[in-house]
Amino acid sequence: MLINRITLLGHKDHGKSTLIGNLLIQTGTASEQRINDAKKTSQKLGRQFEPGFILDSFEEEREGGLTIDTTRVQINYKNIGFEFIDVPGHEELIKNMMSGASYAKFAILLVSAKSDEGIRPQTKRHLFLAKMMGINRIIIAVNKMDYANYHREVFDSIKSDIEDFLQKIGFDRKQAYFIPISAYTADNLVKMSKKMPWYKGSTLMEAMKDAVETEGKETDGKLRIVVQGTLPTGKKILTTGKVISGTIKSGAKVSIVPAKMNVIAKEIFVKGKKQKLAKQGENVALSFDKVPDGSLRGSVIYGSGSAAKPTKRVDSLIFFTKNVVKPITIKINGNEIACDEAKIKDVIDTGTGNKMNAGYDRTLNAANVELRLSKEVVAEPFDTSAELGRFVVYEGREFVGLGIVKGA
Amino acid sequence: MIQQDLKELEERSIYIIREATTKFDNVAALWSMGKDSTTMIALARKAFLGKVPFPVIHIDNGVDFPETYKFRQELAKKWKLNLIVAESEIKPEMSGFACCGENKTVALKKVMKDHGFDALIVSIRRDEHGIRAKERYMSPRDKEFKWDFKNQPAEIWDDYSSKLDAKGHVRIHPLLDWNEVDIWGYIKKEKIPINPLYYSRNGLRYRSLGCTHCTVPIKSKAKTIDDIIKELVVTKVEERSGREQDKEKIYVMEKLRALGYM
Repeated sequence: MLINRITLLGHKDHGKSTLIGNLLIQTGTASEQRINDAKKTSQKLGRQFEPGFILDSFEEEREGGLTIDTTRVQINYKNIGFEFIDVPGHEELIKNMMSGASYAKFAILLVSAKSDEGIRPQTKRHLFLAKMMGINRIIIAVNKMDYANYHREVFDSIKSDIEDFLQKIGFDRKQAYFIPISAYTADNLVKMSKKMPWYKGSTLMEAMKDAVETEGKETDGKLRIVVQGTLPTGKKILTTGKVISGTIKSGAKVSIVPAKMNVIAKEIFVKGKKQKLAKQGENVALSFDKVPDGSLRGSVIYGSGSAAKPTKRVDSLIFFTKNVVKPITIKINGNEIACDEAKIKDVIDTGTGNKMNAGYDRTLNAANVELRLSKEVVAEPFDTSAELGRFVVYEGREFVGLGIVKGA
Repeated sequence: MIQQDLKELEERSIYIIREATTKFDNVAALWSMGKDSTTMIALARKAFLGKVPFPVIHIDNGVDFPETYKFRQELAKKWKLNLIVAESEIKPEMSGFACCGENKTVALKKVMKDHGFDALIVSIRRDEHGIRAKERYMSPRDKEFKWDFKNQPAEIWDDYSSKLDAKGHVRIHPLLDWNEVDIWGYIKKEKIPINPLYYSRNGLRYRSLGCTHCTVPIKSKAKTIDDIIKELVVTKVEERSGREQDKEKIYVMEKLRALGYM
């Protein structure tokens, strides 16, 4: 069964872990032992039963009532495999949120309908990040409708505010589903709630099913192999890598950049066996007619008619976790490359979607940055080649953000 | 339990195993002779065209099952494994937390230090336990083997950024995405040799294998891999329900892992 990965998004305490916990219970997925363990802990802490404890397994998470780190659980719903990625909603834990969300193709954003909660900066920030990381379909679940007496006005007001924000950041509104729910009381999760007759849409799980089933499939394109390294065993020197798009046949003339080598792929090994052909998604070991000089890690192999161009200049959009002032290093396709220059053109306040000037505080905001790299790398626009168009950003040893390539 | 696409799982594991040997100088793997670490070695054989390029470590407390020792000997020979047996002393009064936490961890620390390993491949899976589900694919441990679970490194897209701390090491988890039933699906597909204790005898089988002191079998009629897969697809019982160490306290796995347990 193929697994569809969905990340949860939203401000802290808006119910991400509770929602997944209750989905596990409502769909009959959670084991009795995990439910009992969550019940026992809730009792011990003198609280109402908290379904979120099925996921929040650390003592510190349960006692503090927060998710510290990301986790994943799977649900089989009508023969579709879903993997829900829970993430922390606290802004200081955003690197853990990004670690989880980066593996997802879909998202559920939770917004609390409780009067003192509502849309928070983190609500919109997570939406911005999701869009940036390539999540094109999203369910906006307006949660805690029980606290809002199931009133339609509360739902409508949140919906219209989020819709405005989606438009501002260029997210296709037709790819967003809006559902009023209560994660704790299970309204509109798996069964339609009788308490909101004004809502004519589908349940959360049905919406997920629809989102997954109507998603377009990716197609094989031009050949791109990202080189991982060399095999440490064997008499021959084999170059390892992952086919990220296209196919390669043994005997094919290919080029390796930035080294600008033209070679013939003599043998192709896939999963330990010699093959005539390797396809997208496969890890290969290749022998060439010439032995490459030095390490090729991070190089890109392409075929005739679809050249990949190495460059030192990259136009990018970077989300920063702090207001970085020191030189940065980017990690892209296994390369670690220092930036000689990172020129900020402007900053986008991710809590509002507004464009600010270059001097605006970059902490938890995104910036359009012109990068000048200390060595050549193959970078392609994220919109056309996700795997060659994304990178993570470090300041010394500290993780400070992630970026996507706008142009190179 | 969901049966996932084995090809996708296999590719990801091969990528991670190769990444481990690319990023680190001195890699070793833990081999308990259980289904998971044996599957991991089968994957490493694929990644490296038949030859496993790193040593495999058995933390041996001397009280594993006879079948396990026999299996170790036979497979190490057949697959030409570089086997390191790290002996850990077991005292009669020890069990559960004390045994797995102290005993095995002390032996592991010693063998890691003696050989200077900087990375250790461990075949844990996310679906085994709520705490294991919080792990990264590559996870640093400090020189005391402690897991700083409150401050794990970012692991975004396929960038496993773990950097080594002085005298510490990095745990590599190539099987993190696999479910228990996937392991069995793969064992069947690849005809991977497996410890006979997993199959039902007299109505009982071991679902998770530890040592003779702390592991109890479950009721099961599953005598073949197909039976086991059928059993797992519908089960609502946790895999490690036969492990004493997990039952003592709610957070015992968190404590064990923080202290350096596998």
